[in-house]
Amino acid sequence: MRRLIIRRLLQTIPMIFFVSLVCFALVKAAPGDPVKTFLPPNIHQADIERIRHNLGLDQPAYVQYAKWLKESLSGNLGYSLVNHMPVTKQILDRLPATAGLMGAAIALAVLLAIPLGLAAGSNRNKWVDKLVNLFAYIGISVPLFWLAILFVYFFSIKMHWLPSLGMHTIGKKGAIDVIKHGILPCSVLAISFLSSYVRYIRSGTISQLKEDYVQIQYAFGSGKRTILFRHVMKHVLLPIITLLGMSMGELVTGAIVTETVFSWPGIGSLGMTAVRGLDYPVILGITLFSSLLLIIGNLLADILYGFADPRIKTTR
Amino acid sequence: MRRRKGLVGVIVLLTLTLLLSACGNNNNGSNNTGDSSSGNAPANNDSQNAADGQPKDGGSLIIAVGADPVVLNPNYAGDRVSLTIDQALYAPLFQVDNGKKTFYLADSLELSADKLTYTLKLKDGLTWHDGEKLTADDVVFTIDKILDEKQNSFLRGNFIINGKPIQAVKVDDLTVEFKLPQVAPAFEATLVQVSPIPKHIFENEADIEKSTKNAAPVGSGAFKFKEYKTGEYVTLDRFDNYFGGKPHLDSITYRIAKDTNAANLALQNGEINVKYLDPQDVSTIQATNNFDIQPYSEGRLSYLLFNENSDRGALAKKEVRQALSYALNREELITTAYVSGDYADPAKSILASDNLYFDNDVPSFDNDAAKAKEMLQAAGASNLKLRFITSSGNKAQEAIALYVQQKLKEVGVTVEINALDASAYGTKFSDLKATDFELAAGGYIMGYDPDAYSILYTTGGDANYFHYSNKEVDALFQQGAAEGDATKRGEIYKKLQELAAEDAPVYPIAYTKTIVAIDKKYGGLDQAILKPVVIFEDPSKLYVK
Repeated sequence: MRRLIIRRLLQTIPMIFFVSLVCFALVKAAPGDPVKTFLPPNIHQADIERIRHNLGLDQPAYVQYAKWLKESLSGNLGYSLVNHMPVTKQILDRLPATAGLMGAAIALAVLLAIPLGLAAGSNRNKWVDKLVNLFAYIGISVPLFWLAILFVYFFSIKMHWLPSLGMHTIGKKGAIDVIKHGILPCSVLAISFLSSYVRYIRSGTISQLKEDYVQIQYAFGSGKRTILFRHVMKHVLLPIITLLGMSMGELVTGAIVTETVFSWPGIGSLGMTAVRGLDYPVILGITLFSSLLLIIGNLLADILYGFADPRIKTTR
Repeated sequence: MRRRKGLVGVIVLLTLTLLLSACGNNNNGSNNTGDSSSGNAPANNDSQNAADGQPKDGGSLIIAVGADPVVLNPNYAGDRVSLTIDQALYAPLFQVDNGKKTFYLADSLELSADKLTYTLKLKDGLTWHDGEKLTADDVVFTIDKILDEKQNSFLRGNFIINGKPIQAVKVDDLTVEFKLPQVAPAFEATLVQVSPIPKHIFENEADIEKSTKNAAPVGSGAFKFKEYKTGEYVTLDRFDNYFGGKPHLDSITYRIAKDTNAANLALQNGEINVKYLDPQDVSTIQATNNFDIQPYSEGRLSYLLFNENSDRGALAKKEVRQALSYALNREELITTAYVSGDYADPAKSILASDNLYFDNDVPSFDNDAAKAKEMLQAAGASNLKLRFITSSGNKAQEAIALYVQQKLKEVGVTVEINALDASAYGTKFSDLKATDFELAAGGYIMGYDPDAYSILYTTGGDANYFHYSNKEVDALFQQGAAEGDATKRGEIYKKLQELAAEDAPVYPIAYTKTIVAIDKKYGGLDQAILKPVVIFEDPSKLYVK
């Protein structure tokens, strides 16, 4: 097991390098000039040239990349081309907002998806199943920004229950205030995650219920509920571990649409601004962070898999 | 079992009604103007009864901004959000509205007899927000840093006249002399853009733009920095020692709201008090009866660009450009792009309407399709095929492109529209070597002095995206830049506007307006002066009614 972990961690090094290279190349290949995106258009050509030179943007792309790589290896991800703040600080400033929102939304979605999916799968084609399916289809097909605006309109404007934007009331601090602001974006995200999780769990339950061990349990006289929760659930949750591992990357990149509509100060909206401004240090920083988390998440998922399903451990 | 089925039906019905009614309500909010109760914010009503005569002290204001400020330092601020916040945080030396000067930090600005030296006197007893004295040293320091090549200030080019820098010299604590290398009346318009930065804070910083001290800026404006929550808001508090008198409001918060639809809802909900509006959203907001809707000129010309340098060579002839102009109808185009004539005034001159020597009484080619056809034929340019680039997602540009495509079809010209991603568009548009398009829709805000327009319209100018070249116009720009006498200068620019209009390097569409919605509970808008880009010139004058 330990060797596995070490090997996987070592594998991440070339992977991260490759990711950063591809990402840098893509940004550089995009048409547009970062300097021109943040300077007002009516300025003198000499000023543009001077600023481009000061930022090192007049050097060939490989030199820029090498410079960036050197800096990154020393732990500093460089400075934004646009606002000149350190990239690491900008990401860390926004990490709690995104991780908190995504974490809460994913947790909420999983907690609701398990009972709903089990109920739907074990009552196949009955009314519970149809209802859960209906909601899942609605959740998958409704555009998030529309749902978000609908929520704001109903819960903020009509009912005055919850604030419509931001993470804090101006000048206020404290967890309760943040939670109040987080309820709407979290629910919107949870609905979208929930819908896909439910469908996984439902189909997992259906296929597991056909397995021999279920029939044997019935033969032993176990109740339906016992079989479902004690035996079937264990198997059904396995793919969810993979799903969760894969969504670790999203913990960082966040949900751009939801963050934008609710003006949630997360990494998604930071990334959006960076992409528009071709601000490559910030783009690379965010990509690195999220790929690192994605890789770690997948590793964790594999390890957990080993514990949850002994069959896998022996085949390695 | 049967009972269960009934239950399913009930639940499904209930959910559907809930969903449908939610949609229905949403539509009501945006279309139906009568539903006034929906827009009322609960907290805002009690102040409505207060007497609206004398300004009261206290209260706060929330202004919506579309993004995080890039840098809260006026030497580097180029984006709308930073400029807006800096306007409250850092006082300017003086401002100009309709040719009239209002002095802020400055007490007076005098020009010497030879017109080569401006003497700036500061007000007495000015202080920075941290209590330090604001003196001539700060002004000189600011100008020096703008001129410093290692600092990234893009204002630098304006302080260089014919290759020579302007010199700022301290005379005494309250007096600075600016020595110009040659007569340059446009210098005042350059100085308007300067808000001094504190020497005692930035003196030892190697790279001021990257300085961590920008995170807690010390300014001299009516409001001082309190808090910046990245991605959320910037809050400024009243500065009691403000030279213009203690501001009425306790604080101003700039709330970052990225999504326009959501921000409009927050405006109706009272979570935002001041916000820019798109023309198509005006009726919704107006219907709530809670807002002053103010359209005001932003000193911007919106125009259709003719790229004379295109590889198809089609637009190099002035007659062809005039003919294309004849094919269009300015009024229709304005309604198409800006919803109503209320939000844009018809443009004929290349100078924007806020300009010192603005003259809209110039030749214009408009709305005569028959003449257009005739001229195209005479110029031997029938069956033209033109490429129109737009920035995808920009509603005004897309509307203009479609309109132009339609109208030019009527005179036998084919227009192919190429929608580009915003940054690709920006790069292509401003690439002086680009030859693969003929038409584009653009706009510029150049300030009140006509000399600024020389980079747009002189041969080989840095921003001459039209590749316009007329020796006479070049000469007039040079004369105008160095002419100290206002009357003579006026004549020069009048002639210039006429010449340029005749040559039709662009088809001027409109002088567009900014629309802002301001919650009715705030007063003092007239004294605060609505201003392009920054919204309020002097926010210290705003108060809660």
